[in-house]
Amino acid sequence: MTTTIQENGNQVLAFFSGRLDTAAAVQTAEEVKPLLEAANKEIILDCTELEYISSSGLRIFLSIRKEAAAHGSKVIVRNINADIRQVFMMTGFVSLFVIE
Amino acid sequence: MDLHCEMMMEEYQAALPELERLLQEVLAKLREALERNEMLVTAVEGRVKTRKSLEGKLALKGAKYATLSDITDLVGARIVTFYTDDVDRIAAMVEQLFEIDWTNSVDKRMLHQLDSFGYNSLHYVCKMPEYDFRFELQLRTTLQHAWASINHDIGYKTGVEIPREYLRRINRLAGILEMADDEFSRIRTEITDYRRRVHQLVQNGKLDDVQLDGDTFSSYLQARPFDALNRRIAAINQAEIQEVPLNRYLRVFSAFGCKTLGDVQRLVKHYEEDAYRLARHQLGNTDLDIISSAVGVQNICIVCILASGGGKMGLVRFFDAINGHNTQNEAIAEMTFNLAKNLQL
Repeated sequence: MTTTIQENGNQVLAFFSGRLDTAAAVQTAEEVKPLLEAANKEIILDCTELEYISSSGLRIFLSIRKEAAAHGSKVIVRNINADIRQVFMMTGFVSLFVIE
Repeated sequence: MDLHCEMMMEEYQAALPELERLLQEVLAKLREALERNEMLVTAVEGRVKTRKSLEGKLALKGAKYATLSDITDLVGARIVTFYTDDVDRIAAMVEQLFEIDWTNSVDKRMLHQLDSFGYNSLHYVCKMPEYDFRFELQLRTTLQHAWASINHDIGYKTGVEIPREYLRRINRLAGILEMADDEFSRIRTEITDYRRRVHQLVQNGKLDDVQLDGDTFSSYLQARPFDALNRRIAAINQAEIQEVPLNRYLRVFSAFGCKTLGDVQRLVKHYEEDAYRLARHQLGNTDLDIISSAVGVQNICIVCILASGGGKMGLVRFFDAINGHNTQNEAIAEMTFNLAKNLQL
């Protein structure tokens, strides 16, 4: 599992690649810390190469969303695959994020 | 300007730093007290009297003042409120904050005859023990402030005496604004009463008497109508429940034809069991141990749409309503439709 952060003007992008499961969550939580510090910008979570997300991964996304909401900015979840879309829907979090 | 007034101007020049400190302290105390009492106002502002303005005042009535500290408006502050009721509430607050010089304070609202209208403000002359100078505090509503500002502007710009006819028209406007101020206050009181009544009806379960709208739906949500269902769903995987806002479901229930909270409640009860079956069907084969507090109401809406024959398009419209229009909603609707079809809703 790898996470790459890029700043682009008023946006900050995180590119996730691999399986965001319980084992990977600790490291990913560390790697997304720059996102929390830039939460006043629009945050884009690019999931083009994310294969799977567990509850631990959802919690990371929620912590990012909570920080962004506290700064009045939004989180866009981009290019999720069908399995991850199903996770968002089944758990009722689908309306909490902007899903593109 | 005579010698007495010139000496007072010199005294004023020397006192300017103290006057500025007094102003800042007064404003800070007022803002802090308003925040503590959770009172929203339009403006808290102030000024130290300018040299030019003081010269004008002394030229007119300098002999009236023995010393500079006899002038009560060297420092002036003003609070502009939204409502007339707030002027009296803030006045009570000010009386606790500062020492009031009652001899020089005046409630201009009370000065008018029964058949006259015009300037309306409450003026307090106040004192803080650690300062030599008193200060003036004006309390007025936004509409009173608008009238006073325009009246002041007209009076100054013309430079000549304004004919009686125009003065009458200006004062007539003060009467209209006084009526508007009273009406705004009444509307606020009535809305507060309405909200209290609705809350009471929701608490007492008399939901058929409550029309469905933004306010009433918020009161309904405060009664936490989806908690029991959410807890049952959470128990499937011993999941934790994350709170999320549910207000956007108002438009979904409205689209379902609900006119009262009673309609909403009947719909919720009717589809609750199927909503749980849908959640169990979806989550039972996963180890997802976190859900949102929207999952119960979301599933109720989904099963209602499918049971009413709304099909995939109905689900797309539903996800458009709660997520905003988005190309992904079609895929989400398709997936939801396929997940739910084995349940024979």
